[in-house]
Amino acid sequence: MKVIVDSGRCELHGECVMAAPDVFAIEDDKDSVTVLDAQPGERLRSAVEEAAMMCPVTAIRIED
Amino acid sequence: MTTAKPDMRVLDADTYANGDPTTFGLPLEQYAYLRDEAPCYLHEFNDPMLIDRAWIVSRNADIWAVDRNSELYAADRGGVNMWKVTPLDPKVGGKPAMLTMDGAKHRTQRGVMSKAFTPGMVKKLEDKFREYASNIVDAALEKGTFNFVTDIGHAMPMEALGDVLGVPSGDREKFFAWVDTFAAPFDTRITPSFEYVMQAIFDLLGYAVELGELKRREPGEDVITQLVQAGADVISEDELMGNVALLASGAAESTRTSLSHGMHELMRNPEQMAWLREHAQDIPNTAIQEIVRIATPFTHLVRTATADHELHGQHIKEGDTVLMLFAAGNFDERALDNPNAFDLAREKNPHVSFGRGPHQCLGKHVAGLEMKILLEELMQRTKDISPAGDISYVRDAYSRGVYQLPVTITPA
Repeated sequence: MKVIVDSGRCELHGECVMAAPDVFAIEDDKDSVTVLDAQPGERLRSAVEEAAMMCPVTAIRIED
Repeated sequence: MTTAKPDMRVLDADTYANGDPTTFGLPLEQYAYLRDEAPCYLHEFNDPMLIDRAWIVSRNADIWAVDRNSELYAADRGGVNMWKVTPLDPKVGGKPAMLTMDGAKHRTQRGVMSKAFTPGMVKKLEDKFREYASNIVDAALEKGTFNFVTDIGHAMPMEALGDVLGVPSGDREKFFAWVDTFAAPFDTRITPSFEYVMQAIFDLLGYAVELGELKRREPGEDVITQLVQAGADVISEDELMGNVALLASGAAESTRTSLSHGMHELMRNPEQMAWLREHAQDIPNTAIQEIVRIATPFTHLVRTATADHELHGQHIKEGDTVLMLFAAGNFDERALDNPNAFDLAREKNPHVSFGRGPHQCLGKHVAGLEMKILLEELMQRTKDISPAGDISYVRDAYSRGVYQLPVTITPA
């Protein structure tokens, strides 16, 4: 599974950080979310899917 | 399935003023009718203080879709809710704010403010919030019997949001009183006449300028400082005024309303109160989200259609107002199991109280933390919370507050 964030869309709503804190983080002074783990293991799939679904600006895409 | 068409009063102030306390104060049957039989319903208002008409969208999935499609359902073509006059609508003398912007402009301004509201930043406020909660519960225990809405529901967000926004302590009472006045234009107990609405808007916008000047002289670690430091080319003076009004109106009454409806349900459902007490050391997010769902502090927001199109067989024209009835979407059995039950452990909860699109509530993480800490404090330090009289509601179909919730608390 590959996680791709469109940083041009991200508005730091923080829903992904709540849904999948092992994969997403918001760092001080950054304008878009940081992907901590761009190829997370399968055990994180449902959390990452939740993050993608919850994103209010649909900035998160999952491949495979 | 509901079949008989009820008299459609889902946007009448009296429906909410006279709400049934056993159905969260909400007209759940009328909502069910809309979702089942008329999921895109043209409502005529017939009130000079309200917009003329709007398409009501009531199903949960449709609200998600409308809220996320700002190309077809624009926020920047006028109108915030069913009111004709709001402090945020430049077309009627208000000032522009994030909620009435779309696209790049929205993204830039939201970017300035959102950094103060991320989950990580909010976490840093925890100690301060716990101190406020402790003081508020101290005062409440001293009184024993009191109106939960004012003594607890109002006190917590006023201090917490005062800090986040950067409103000096001595100004907080008047700052949030202006919001209460213009947010309840139809309740003469709160706002005696429409002149008061206009005056409160005028005073708040004027104070926003003063506050901006203060923050330029004495910057702090707060949102208003960030707004003025962004520079006039990013956020103009008018936009500063609009955004302060927006932040103020989102800040206090919504959390107060959630806490008050939530406490009322907890007292009605002893097994839920017991569950919350069992979790008093660390209240799970499911509990907070469930309270926010059943409270639905703002029943709706509106958008403007940017093109002719069809929805559920209805022909929506460019320029028509589309009204997302959050309160109906929050009780949609298509999206939630057993939606009319109050269940603090509810796992699947796609409620729309905060919205689900780019305009989603900026303060949702702050509000969640305030509610969590306050409820933890209350649960830990009391052994009983009971009604000391009947609940009564604010007379308003947009901002559906609780007017009185008399309670008696017993120390642990």
